[in-house]
Amino acid sequence: MKKFLGVLLAASIGVSLIACGSAGSGSKSEGSNGDVVNLTIWSPTDTEPVEAWWADKLAQWNEENPGIQVTREAIDRSDSYAYENKVTTATTSNDLPDLLYVDGPNISYYAANGLIVPLTDYFTDEDLADLMPCTVQQCTYDDTLYAVSATESSVALYYNKDYLDAAGIAYPSEDNIEEAWTWSEFYENTGKLTTGDYVGTSIIMDKGEGLIYALGQFWTENNAQMISEDGTEADGYINSKESVETAEYLVQFIENGYANLDPVKDEFLNGYAATMLGGSWNIGEVEASDLNWGVSYFPISDEGKASSPTGDWSVAITKDSKNVDAAGKFIQWFMSTDNVASYASAIVKPASRISAYEQMEGWEEGPRALMLWQLQNTGTARPNSPSYSVLSSDFASALLNIFSGADIQSEFDKVAVSFDDNYKDYYAESEK
Amino acid sequence: MGKKSMSVEKSSYNRMENRAGMLMSIPAVMLLAAFLIVPISYTIYYSFFKYQVIRPDSIVFHGLNNYLNLFKDEAFWQSLRNTVYFTVIVVPLQCTLALGLALLVSGKRRGVSVFRTMYFSPQVTSMVVIAILWTILYNSNANTGLINAFLTNIGLNTIDFLNSPKTAMNSIIFMSAWQGAGYQMMIFVAGLNSIPAEQYEAASVDGAGRWGKFCFVTVPGLMNTIKYVIMITLIQAMKLFTQPYIMTKGGPQNSTKTLVYYIYEQGFQRGHFGYACAAATVFFILIVTLSLAVKKITRTN
Repeated sequence: MKKFLGVLLAASIGVSLIACGSAGSGSKSEGSNGDVVNLTIWSPTDTEPVEAWWADKLAQWNEENPGIQVTREAIDRSDSYAYENKVTTATTSNDLPDLLYVDGPNISYYAANGLIVPLTDYFTDEDLADLMPCTVQQCTYDDTLYAVSATESSVALYYNKDYLDAAGIAYPSEDNIEEAWTWSEFYENTGKLTTGDYVGTSIIMDKGEGLIYALGQFWTENNAQMISEDGTEADGYINSKESVETAEYLVQFIENGYANLDPVKDEFLNGYAATMLGGSWNIGEVEASDLNWGVSYFPISDEGKASSPTGDWSVAITKDSKNVDAAGKFIQWFMSTDNVASYASAIVKPASRISAYEQMEGWEEGPRALMLWQLQNTGTARPNSPSYSVLSSDFASALLNIFSGADIQSEFDKVAVSFDDNYKDYYAESEK
Repeated sequence: MGKKSMSVEKSSYNRMENRAGMLMSIPAVMLLAAFLIVPISYTIYYSFFKYQVIRPDSIVFHGLNNYLNLFKDEAFWQSLRNTVYFTVIVVPLQCTLALGLALLVSGKRRGVSVFRTMYFSPQVTSMVVIAILWTILYNSNANTGLINAFLTNIGLNTIDFLNSPKTAMNSIIFMSAWQGAGYQMMIFVAGLNSIPAEQYEAASVDGAGRWGKFCFVTVPGLMNTIKYVIMITLIQAMKLFTQPYIMTKGGPQNSTKTLVYYIYEQGFQRGHFGYACAAATVFFILIVTLSLAVKKITRTN
């Protein structure tokens, strides 16, 4: 009996190892099935209108292109990094789909590691000129185009008019950047707006990527960079004097209770915060609510320097695709002016294509026009570096530690060390 | 002659039983191999390599460097300390709570089964759901967090449960003990019900009161159950991941980062797969050693 079990165990181990080995070279994207090419695209799950858009458009494409059938797999974003973790897992088994949605700042990371392939064959310079400059900047790594975005994003200051009235504060401007709230005004006013029932502002978008995305603008406005221009070094940048000053400014909001470190979902929407650093994607839900609201520019520095976040999800073709040309065709179609316009309208985000605005309603005035203006005038892309994901999560941990009382300089020193180590370890050598 | 034919029958029956046993063990052994032995072997294998998770094509032999770097990493030692702290506090807390509850509900009084269900119900819900709920309960703002709302109502200051390094781990400990006690309680109830009633009667005859009965009848009768419960709670506690992952993301200031969280973070978030495998191997050795030690201690009793 024992001998039998031993033999059985050994055989099972052998079979498992072989199975593991062959699964490793499998691929999610099937090859040609006769004459039909089957492509898969992964993108995060989204609201009703967006899911409906996908269903409609893919049905349309599949009908018009019987030779190239595309199916979409919607991936749930249970937390800020869940989608990226799923992509990472698929990478280990060479199981990536043909087309992949990539969040803007990760493009450099995936490109540097060969996960996604260049798209230069599918987009001419002329075509790219129709996209916003910040979009092209985000999608380019090493002077090569690796992805394209149909949408952009921006963050502005939403405010609750009733609460501002109650505190006797004038509304910040909606059409003149020079009359936007400055750092000092933002701080003072949120102080006045904090009462027992609601806080002055909501600045914590999430406890991950949202921190560097939204709050990073304060760094830019204070002339503090997080990493070097070429994305290789953090020491001397993230832990510089200006960077520490910026963090000192933000800590005050948490320390004095003007902002919640642990905001409930939809804090501003439910009346628990008087103002909010909210995204262009919030416009839809704020409009649908019965809040008496207004929107103004992202706060500017006391010296008048303005900056605003940019960047959104983009589409890329992965290294595991066996039908790069077919995938390229699909991306070209996806990025057509009509499709970009309808997609951007469904997802309520600014389109990245300038020509798309001729078809989109509501962007000439009001909050949408403000977001658009910011995108084209004060938009700053996040730092471009293959080690970006390390920077993002380290920065988030550091900032959260700082918000719960840790020493700013030592936290940022740790971030610098961690980033530099990661870059030297994996990217500084020539071949990787 | 009768004996000879009986022994022949017996051995052929044994052979049939043996064969049936062998066949039935095939699926279990295959699953064991595929899901336990092979992954563990791979983990130990990769712990000697430099393996960035996003580059499965460039895996480089790295010798013992992963282990050396691991032992130099302050974050690793912090995770170890956090895990040990959690285990050392939660095991006695949870087991005592479970035993107390079990004593309350093991009687045959009417309505006792209602309480049994209530105490067990947190166990039935997914830990993820419970963690999310408690994150809201523990919210530092009295407008949102139920516990802080209660505290301000009775005139006390709010407590920053999950955002202060001093209270975050303790908050998780309390909530974990609350959730897990139900399961241990059921085991204790079964154990209590198996103690013969005559022993209690004998104790009464000898003049033992409630406390005396507890010390001299209940505890000895329950000793094996207690050892078992401590052992499984210990191993469960060392593996803590869900609560810190959902509630605090290892913070604030790494005060709730446990070993398993550290391994996950290094391997998947930072992509240092080889390094994470080294940490996982160390963790594996630690748990095996601990289990063997606990088994040895409780056996010699």
